[in-house]
Amino acid sequence: MTDTKTPAPAGQGTGAASAGAASVAPTGVRRFSGRWFGDLAIRYAMVIVMLLIIAFFLYRSARFGTPENLTTILIAAAPFALIALGQTLVILTGGIDLSVGSVIAVAAVYGSITAKAFPDNVWLAVVTGMVVGLIAGSINGFVVSVIKVPPFIATLGMLTAASGFAYVAGNGAPITGLPASFSSIANTQILGLTLPVILMIVGILGFAVIMRRTAYGMRVYAVGGNPVAAQIAGVKVGRTLFSVYAISGVLAGLSGVMLASRVTLGAPNLGQGYELDAIAAVVIGGASLLGGRGSIWGTALGLLLIQTLNNGLDILTVPAYWQDVIKGALIVTAVAVDVWSTKRRP
Amino acid sequence: MSVVDQLPGGIPNRGEVNPDAPIMLECVDLKKSFGGVPVLKGVSLKLEQGTITALSGENGAGKSTMMKIASGQYRPDEGRVLVRGEELPAGNPNAAHALGVAIVPQELASVLDTTVYENIFLGRERRRFGFLDRRRMIREATELLDDFGVDIPATARMGSLPVGLRQIVEIVKATSTGARVLLLDEPTSAIAEREVARLIGIMRRLRDRGVSLLFTTHKMEEIRAIADRVVVLRDGGLVTDAPLSTLTDDDIVTAMIGRELEDLFPERPEVRDETVLTIDELVVAPSGAPVSLSVKRGEIVGLAGLVGAGRTELIESIFGTRPVLSGTVTINGEKLRPGNPAASIAAGVALVPEDRKGAGAVLSMNILQNGTLPRLGQFSTFGWLKGRSRTAAVAKSMESVRLRSRGLDQEMETLSGGNQQKVVFARWLTADVNVLLLDEPTRGVDVGARSEIYRIITSLAADGMAVIMASSDLPEILSLSHRALVLRGQAVVGELDRDDLDDPGVQDRIFRLASGMTSHTKGATHD
Repeated sequence: MTDTKTPAPAGQGTGAASAGAASVAPTGVRRFSGRWFGDLAIRYAMVIVMLLIIAFFLYRSARFGTPENLTTILIAAAPFALIALGQTLVILTGGIDLSVGSVIAVAAVYGSITAKAFPDNVWLAVVTGMVVGLIAGSINGFVVSVIKVPPFIATLGMLTAASGFAYVAGNGAPITGLPASFSSIANTQILGLTLPVILMIVGILGFAVIMRRTAYGMRVYAVGGNPVAAQIAGVKVGRTLFSVYAISGVLAGLSGVMLASRVTLGAPNLGQGYELDAIAAVVIGGASLLGGRGSIWGTALGLLLIQTLNNGLDILTVPAYWQDVIKGALIVTAVAVDVWSTKRRP
Repeated sequence: MSVVDQLPGGIPNRGEVNPDAPIMLECVDLKKSFGGVPVLKGVSLKLEQGTITALSGENGAGKSTMMKIASGQYRPDEGRVLVRGEELPAGNPNAAHALGVAIVPQELASVLDTTVYENIFLGRERRRFGFLDRRRMIREATELLDDFGVDIPATARMGSLPVGLRQIVEIVKATSTGARVLLLDEPTSAIAEREVARLIGIMRRLRDRGVSLLFTTHKMEEIRAIADRVVVLRDGGLVTDAPLSTLTDDDIVTAMIGRELEDLFPERPEVRDETVLTIDELVVAPSGAPVSLSVKRGEIVGLAGLVGAGRTELIESIFGTRPVLSGTVTINGEKLRPGNPAASIAAGVALVPEDRKGAGAVLSMNILQNGTLPRLGQFSTFGWLKGRSRTAAVAKSMESVRLRSRGLDQEMETLSGGNQQKVVFARWLTADVNVLLLDEPTRGVDVGARSEIYRIITSLAADGMAVIMASSDLPEILSLSHRALVLRGQAVVGELDRDDLDDPGVQDRIFRLASGMTSHTKGATHD
């Protein structure tokens, strides 16, 4: 999502910015006109599309709008949300992290092994998953920022290697017979929501604030927008690059453990292909793969759009293969609208 | 037989306008705006057969835009282009090519991994039974190169050639496809002196074969060396169009900048007796000699030299974005940690880099964000960005350079070149700066904004900064600096004080120092 499309509350505060003495602040209420409406429609195109899709499903299915179904959507979205957040940071720097799906698997397997060994301290399993993710992410970050291998290649390598590790750890079989204490992690209820959903909501809010309100967020945007300029402004470019891959790894690790806990199975094929849905969510949310442009809110919206669509099409019993066709078309359309609206800007 | 031999003759004498010479290319009342900013305001121009026309003017005057319209890359808002009387379909480079108009762009588009002959025959490869006939292509390419007196093997890789030779290969390629009108955009801007002479020879040879050449430049010596006719653009309008023989250098310069030089430059500030920056035996390249220099508060030191002389390297090494081989940089008595821009910034060093779009600013961010970036530490508490005080500080510094914007939340991308450069300056001014390093501070900036930037530089020096300014623009060096160093081959080859800079022969002297011609140096090489 380009800056102009970022909803104002999370942004730098347009009002505060234009209060600067050097600027000519446009005062007064903007008049409602066709032009204004058109601009607004483009700015919130994704929200409008989302509302249309929701309206369509509500009209076609009585089940879609129930609170139970809403919960189902959120639970399905949660594992994607964590990796999509990390992916947003990576894509903002102009990189990509293809390894997150495999990191989910390897963290799920090692988390499950830990849970079996320490059934009374299942939180150790969560820590293990996150540490596994941190290691994978740090290797990615090191290879990208120090050895300077292109992110696509570096994380493609990790995608393959981590998947291999997931199978090695369980000798090719899923880890079964997990203690009930482990599966209860993902079912912990807080305010009527399960822990993964809470993590998703906290993650989105937290990263939205970090990216907009902290020096770290600004460094990430600057490194993606123009690494040379960032370096001249004193930003430690390599360190910043390393950090986004490490964060992406930790989040994938956390996501993996939660997933294993939810399905009570440490399967080495968990999370397979998730990286593509995460990248799709970021891109639908308006981020540029060239870096520097995008936002956490955009990703959250893109994520919910994909999950709502999955859920609604399931309810309408649209065959899975057709669902993929529709999702594919949506990704390209979303980016096309973004390219077109960016061109239109003055 | 090579294609070049088939070109018609018809060579008018230099400098004379031949009324009978056919008009090869005619531009009629071209207008073009970008984002509401007029870049060309109705320019008409005729190129005669077998002539060389210099298209001259300051950066931003509209030269490149004009060429891109004539070669079909841009579509004009109004006006038309005629090639030998035939109207060029607007915005169609292939049609222009078919009509015999070729352009050699400033940024060469050669594929560096290909060979010379592959590049020459790109898109019209010679075939035999459907397969590439490499032997024939090599033979024909060799003929073409010989014909231009260029001594390079047709099988050499493009990437292994210096830029000047790549450019000549592009010219050979363009003319071998039957180009009758050749447009050269800043052909000498990136090539070495020796290669300029060769390029000039080739341009003359093409003219003698009846090709019409139009080249952009803002260097007087090039205009004098080859042009038959001079066209000067200023702020998108045509101000001069006359044979070279009828113009003096002063006529051309005045036409280019639209005012006397003195008006462009403010008074030099007073130098204070307090040394801020001391560079001791700094070596920045394995081939370079150690550089020592000290700069006082209020002093502006110019760095002159040709492209590749080591000016940018010196500035980057002081700042820390380039590793230093040996030697030290001291600011106010404190040694700088080498290779650490963040430490340099903390010590009060600021850099306005050469390539503004590539290095100076993050275009995808807004003014406030760009203004925050160099001083993130100062503008955040435990990592959290400050609100009002940060906005106020950035607003104040932007105001101090009289930035014209819609607000601090305007994206950099949508600012003009001059205003972008003001942001790149002003973002440093949110804290005290001791040393200001400038690399080509006015490149790509229009004349109006340029004089404002000169005023900013001198007022910052007057506030007590020590300024080092690298520039290829000699008037800039001569008029702004208290002292100037001339660099060549990563070493200082001359130092000129204020009296030297006021000497009428100084331009010639700097040129000789920079290019390594030592015959008339008047013993100026005192390192």
